[in-house]
Amino acid sequence: MSQPILSARDLVKTFGTGHTQVRAVDGISLDLGPGELVTITGPSGSGKTTLVSILGALLRPDEGSVTIAGQDITAMGEAALSALRARTIGFVFQSFNLLDALNVRDNVLFPAHLAPGGTRDAAGRADALLDRLGLGARKQALPATLSGGEKQRTAIARALVNQPRLIIADEPTGNLDSHSGQEVMMVLHDIARDQGCSVLIVTHDQRIEEVADRILWLEDGTLRNRKAEPRTLARDPVCNMLVDKELSANFADHEGRRYHFCSKRCHQRFEADPQAYAAQGALAAETERNPT
Amino acid sequence: MLNWAFREMLLAPQQLFASVAAVAGALLLVLFFEGVFAGESDQIVALIDKTDADVWVMQKGVGNMHMSTSFVADWKVDAVAEVEGVARTTPILYMNSAVEASGRSWFSYVVGIELDNPRVGPWAMIQGARFPTPGGAVVPEIFASDAGLKLGDTIRIAGTDFRVDGFSGDTFSMANSINFVGMDDLADVMGSLGVVSYILVDAEPGVSAQALAERIIAEVEAVNALPRDIFVARDYSIAVQMGLNIVWIMTLIGGALAVLLTGFVVYSHVTERERELAVMKALGVRDRAIYAAVSAQALTIGGLAFATALALMAMAIPLAAEFAPKISLAITTEAVLRAGVTALVVSLISAVIPVRRILSVDPVSAFQQ
Repeated sequence: MSQPILSARDLVKTFGTGHTQVRAVDGISLDLGPGELVTITGPSGSGKTTLVSILGALLRPDEGSVTIAGQDITAMGEAALSALRARTIGFVFQSFNLLDALNVRDNVLFPAHLAPGGTRDAAGRADALLDRLGLGARKQALPATLSGGEKQRTAIARALVNQPRLIIADEPTGNLDSHSGQEVMMVLHDIARDQGCSVLIVTHDQRIEEVADRILWLEDGTLRNRKAEPRTLARDPVCNMLVDKELSANFADHEGRRYHFCSKRCHQRFEADPQAYAAQGALAAETERNPT
Repeated sequence: MLNWAFREMLLAPQQLFASVAAVAGALLLVLFFEGVFAGESDQIVALIDKTDADVWVMQKGVGNMHMSTSFVADWKVDAVAEVEGVARTTPILYMNSAVEASGRSWFSYVVGIELDNPRVGPWAMIQGARFPTPGGAVVPEIFASDAGLKLGDTIRIAGTDFRVDGFSGDTFSMANSINFVGMDDLADVMGSLGVVSYILVDAEPGVSAQALAERIIAEVEAVNALPRDIFVARDYSIAVQMGLNIVWIMTLIGGALAVLLTGFVVYSHVTERERELAVMKALGVRDRAIYAAVSAQALTIGGLAFATALALMAMAIPLAAEFAPKISLAITTEAVLRAGVTALVVSLISAVIPVRRILSVDPVSAFQQ
């Protein structure tokens, strides 16, 4: 691997004291090279948010060090960390987190005010990004009028406007339907491939894992690489995606059979009408066994 | 950030309108009370102001008319007239007294004027004679209207009855009204023969009022003399001082109300937008930039409220004259400055209220669902 953009060594983060103490991150080391797309997955409460908060320069570890773009951030002051986040890291959140009062273009340009060069240089980039992400006609729209997919694409444009070297995305497809989720997944994949950005994604979405260079499983505060491990796949009866049974956090039991889902949204759809989707799931499984 | 701060406020225009209106109400309280005192003060100096004598001569040691008593021996009228640069002298008698009519009484200036000398008298008439005849009085029209007086009715001044000869305009305020009677009649009421209260002096053309006043003090024994502008300023200042404590109390009450309202609005904005603030911090916005944005919101509310309060006050003045003539309202530069400074201080204090909340926003919470 060439010089990593993100390098973490022996990270430890503990919350609470005494018998309520939780070691959310326990000796994690991680390198992320340019153009690499890595997913982190794991059960709820496994420390994913804590880990990405540390890797995103939002939270200080109790022990260990983090280097981003060659700068050791562990010893940096708050002002320097803010500046680093503005220049070097792009964030994509599950809840999109657009600023309600600003239109699409101003949301995208918002981080540009925080970077050297300001909006003068960034305006052209913002327009180009919005065109590329299919939002050219929606530049003046307020977030409240956007679909989930449009909101997340706006958030991705915002994350990219300062040309960061690292993108950190937290469940970027978690609130999207399968089509929008697929779209966002491909955008993130292209960012890593075309722009040489390091992309770190916390996700339960198996579809993203299909394009990931590495799949890291976080449990009990430690990481392990799942991509190299054998996987047992199941087909999501709602969207027809292949899902890793072992990693899937969304599953439901119906009439003696367990169904796995790519996302909470598919899970909810299944629960709304399990009979219809169960039949579809059985058909898909049958088709898989007897391909024509 | 400022762009966000302003647009964020415009996102909920009803809320912005309500907060500006509420703070404007509090500032209007400040402006209104100061306006009432300014209006009253204007009325208190109306006699001196409208009777445009160049110099006022009074008893030595006296420097005011409002709430004052001045006695000057009547021979000094001629002595003053002989001073170089004096074109004309006009004596008046003056007393503060309750004027009674229809079972009610009003605190009043009673001015005794020479009936054969029209130099001093009412400056605006509504009905009847401008100058009273012996035993008669010219009273403010609002006072007469309040007491249900008609021309020819009787009023009582310090135990003496006077016939109403005329109704004057612009001579009434809540603090005092101005009644004109004959100087001899007032001398009888006061039991003060051989004295006048003030001597009004008209200067010859080209003579400065200040120089003439100094010359009168130097040449006439035991008198004080003040140019009209200074005399007006001194009385105005006394009148304003009388209301100053109340004005300050109202300023404090209005200011405190405005701080509470603006502080609540700004704090609510911060609370409602906590998630957005967390996102901003995650994206690299520093606390001080967020604080500047919140301050800009507080200053905007304060500024809009100040402008609204001024506009409402400007509208209130003609409305009060039309529908509540007893209330004399005025806007002074001091009142505008005081309200402006109050609005500024209110905004700055209000901006401080949510600081702890801003500082406590954790950017990590941007990751939470």
